[in-house]
Amino acid sequence: MTLRHSVVLATTLLKLVDARPAAAQSVTHRGLVEARVTLFPQRAANDTQRAIADLLAREEVFIRATSWFRLSSGVEARGNSYNQVDRSWRTRFDDRTVRRPALAMRRLSAAISRGGLALDVGKQFIRWGKVDIVTPTDRFAPRDYMAVIDNDFLAVRGARLAYAKGGDTIELVVVPWFTPSRVPLLDQRWTVVPDGVSITDATPPESWPGSTQTGARYSHVGAGYEYAVAFFNGFNHLPNVQIGVPPGPSLPQPPAGITVLMSPVSRPLALVRTYSRMRMYGGDVALPTRWVTLKGEAAFFATSTPGTDEFVLFVAQAERQMGEWLLIGGYAGSVVTRAGGTATFAPDRGTTRSFIGRASYTIDSTRSAAVEGALRQTGDGVYLKGELSRSSGTHWRTTVAGALIRGEPDDFLGQFRRNSHLSLTFRYSF
Amino acid sequence: MSRAVALWIALVVVLAPDGVAAQDARQIVQEVQKRSNVRSQRYEGVLQVFNAKGKVSDKRWVLERIGSYGSSKMILRFTVPAEVKGVALLVVNHTDRASDQWMWTPSIERDRRIAFQDRSQRFFGTDFSFEDLEERDVDQFDYSILGDETIDGESCWKIQSVPRQAKSSQYTRSIVWVRKATYTFAQLDSYIKEQVVRRLDYRDMANVQGVWTARRLEMSDLRTGSRTRLTLEQLQYNVPMKDEDFTLQALRRQS
Repeated sequence: MTLRHSVVLATTLLKLVDARPAAAQSVTHRGLVEARVTLFPQRAANDTQRAIADLLAREEVFIRATSWFRLSSGVEARGNSYNQVDRSWRTRFDDRTVRRPALAMRRLSAAISRGGLALDVGKQFIRWGKVDIVTPTDRFAPRDYMAVIDNDFLAVRGARLAYAKGGDTIELVVVPWFTPSRVPLLDQRWTVVPDGVSITDATPPESWPGSTQTGARYSHVGAGYEYAVAFFNGFNHLPNVQIGVPPGPSLPQPPAGITVLMSPVSRPLALVRTYSRMRMYGGDVALPTRWVTLKGEAAFFATSTPGTDEFVLFVAQAERQMGEWLLIGGYAGSVVTRAGGTATFAPDRGTTRSFIGRASYTIDSTRSAAVEGALRQTGDGVYLKGELSRSSGTHWRTTVAGALIRGEPDDFLGQFRRNSHLSLTFRYSF
Repeated sequence: MSRAVALWIALVVVLAPDGVAAQDARQIVQEVQKRSNVRSQRYEGVLQVFNAKGKVSDKRWVLERIGSYGSSKMILRFTVPAEVKGVALLVVNHTDRASDQWMWTPSIERDRRIAFQDRSQRFFGTDFSFEDLEERDVDQFDYSILGDETIDGESCWKIQSVPRQAKSSQYTRSIVWVRKATYTFAQLDSYIKEQVVRRLDYRDMANVQGVWTARRLEMSDLRTGSRTRLTLEQLQYNVPMKDEDFTLQALRRQS
């Protein structure tokens, strides 16, 4: 579906419901303008840039045309001082560009609900699972990983049908158009390469998987517990990474979870991203107890794509509110059940075999602080993110944040050890 | 409550306004609930948060509630400030146990169940805790009359309520003052052990569609000295609403 087709569809649907009484209609919106400066104290081997400025403007409009029909739309405009945003001002609907689009339709969906039945069609956010930081069953939620540990969700284009009765809900999802996770730019610091090595992107344009992705999830909310089972059949939104070897000495394959191999060869390498078939069987559970809320999520990932790993991801975590503190701690694990050998860009797997945690503190009605981190069980990699945020009036918020990354060069987290950073963000919400 | 008991209470209220001392505490609270019982409710709430030094923030929410006391459902959506616009809370009350609560955060497109032990948390920087947003059904507490007192010049019953074993509450007990003239709450003090930790004042009484309603509620956190004033605007009762709009699916819908 192209953007034009989507707009035409939405307009037609709006006209169809336009005859409804005005009293049943409501229009709400929310928007923001955000300016951020990020400072990197250290140079990276392939990147000397130490300061990056970002500008983001977002507006989302929600139209409740009748009690049973809603339209959700959102647009984004971006600017960036370091070539991380596409220079084209064409409005993007697909979120498939290597760089972030300068102008994009963030979401555009129509929702019909009658009784316990709800149908959402269009570009929308679909979130599955219950745990934080690593979410194994969240398969319809690709992310923008351009700055790996500071990532954001991308919407997918498809349809979601949900039927709820009592505490039971069944969801069926069909996504005909694939949305990949956005990966770090090859000539910037989040693609780690040694001195003297450069990489070019040799991925053929528009080489996306063409088949429809499907998924189903059954969830149950009981008295004091929740669980869900989920199934996904489609493609991994995180790519396999194949490095083309130019004539000359051959290169070994990089291990899974490592973005790009450190190579002794000082000539450009060609990188090709492909997206493996994936079938997921998973589930999640939340169990509030007297002292903590226990949450667990696990999934097995099978594939028919040759050379690709089959594996299990699992997360167990506990949450506890203590006064103004919200504490989350747990363990994220992974087990490769069949090694494929092909390298992948896999921040989800790269953050597993780790102790994970998050703590947030509400200082008062205008200020809050939060810390999040992951520590590999081997001690080979760690990241720690912290932020202090303060609102002023009803529109402004200022956030000071920092990320500390340390570890060994052959660890997924540790390889980014020169990318610790500080940021200052001003946000105006309206 | 049986119809016979309800009729008896109605007769007592109409025929013997000065003889209500004969009623026990439980009957008084039941009468309060009976008189405020509606099919649904909708209002726009203006929240002003004051710390010990003065006002620090303004918030607004839209609250919709369906069902009767103890088994009602409620969705509350923030509309101001802009940065929390769309944040929503679903509360499903039960007659025999604590409510179920879920919070929807649009920035991450996810809902989170608010667990029992999290109910004492301040709700979005206000002085209301999550537990303060649930309904207190009469059958979940034991009551006793402590005497009569005057609040703002109005004669009130002073009633103590203690949560029964089945009820999970952050509060050890509460003392509520009920206006004799209108069977409405005037003040609610909530205790943790022997210390009053929160005080809720019910002010600006008005008869809205036959229901005496406090249009200004002020919650004070007596430990920190902060307080939150909630003013009810565009209050309506018995608005047409559907049960299906008070589910987790509905919580996730943006509007």
